[in-house]
Amino acid sequence: MNAAYEFVVGPLAWIAGAIFVLGSIYRLVSMYALAVKKDYSSLPYMDLKYSLRSIIHWLNPFGTAGWKASPWTAAVTFIFHICLIITPLFLLGHAVLLETFHGIEWPTISDGLADGLTMLVIAGCIFFIIRRATVDKLKYITSGMDWFVIFLVLATFLTGFAAYHQWLNYQFILILHILAGEAMLASIPFTRLSHMIFWVFIRGYMGSEFGKVRHAKDW
Amino acid sequence: MKKQLSVILLLAAAVLLYLAPAYSQEDMTQLLDPAFTTHQRPAAVFNHDGHNEKAEIEDCSVCHHVYEGERKVMDDSSEGTPCSECHAVDAEEGTPLRMAYHRMCTDCHTAKGKGPVTCGECHVDK
Repeated sequence: MNAAYEFVVGPLAWIAGAIFVLGSIYRLVSMYALAVKKDYSSLPYMDLKYSLRSIIHWLNPFGTAGWKASPWTAAVTFIFHICLIITPLFLLGHAVLLETFHGIEWPTISDGLADGLTMLVIAGCIFFIIRRATVDKLKYITSGMDWFVIFLVLATFLTGFAAYHQWLNYQFILILHILAGEAMLASIPFTRLSHMIFWVFIRGYMGSEFGKVRHAKDW
Repeated sequence: MKKQLSVILLLAAAVLLYLAPAYSQEDMTQLLDPAFTTHQRPAAVFNHDGHNEKAEIEDCSVCHHVYEGERKVMDDSSEGTPCSECHAVDAEEGTPLRMAYHRMCTDCHTAKGKGPVTCGECHVDK
């Protein structure tokens, strides 16, 4: 079991990290090349001011008509994403690995807080699963890929939660958790999770078109 | 009165004798360093003598080392000196205490291919 653990926290972690970073760069560069090829005339209209205006409005859960139309979805979306990013980034267990392996000091949140945030992420996943399974207009645009990424996030946080509480076979659950986390990281550039790297450009494009061309609000 | 006092003294001596081994290395079952003011995880499980018997460690300086700069001093050991004397909890340079403990245990366990290396194997939730 030690050998399996050392493999997943060692070489496999580097591989997953490399796929995430290099894959993200590749996706950004190839998407830009595609935009140049297919929609060159839109590029000069990209505008920082109108981009930021749209991004800032959509970053406010009360700032857009879209969010206001679905307040529950808006609330869960914001809480889910904040917890999803903060928890793994500032988890004591993760920071201690960074410290032990590389001597890097990293800020942490308390385990109690992380436990609560993890439960919110799990609850968010369940909300999104039910929503995709029951809302007709969502069912229509849901593909296998959407289910894959939701269950990947759910699996990562459920196994992390179980590992922290040392439920079942601790070492086995911990290795599953690390594998799921690495699968999630490596999936970001190539699945629906790519909204993590693309959202700012998509929002910027919409903001620029609505602000500079149509002289209208997009929120 | 004299009898009462001697009973109390005898009792006190008995308590002291009983307590003394609890604080000696032979009977330690966990690593609970008082240098840490807040403990974020349960103390690491560690039976000093049981561990060393199993790991066949006879040289104290394997863990209780002495360093001069970057070099480990051979033929010298530091048992009796708190780890935190060199490894301050919030040391800016060198190896802070938490890192020192984690590396001391897991580096060796990894190198030997034996012993716990994951968080929860040592910091067991009770």
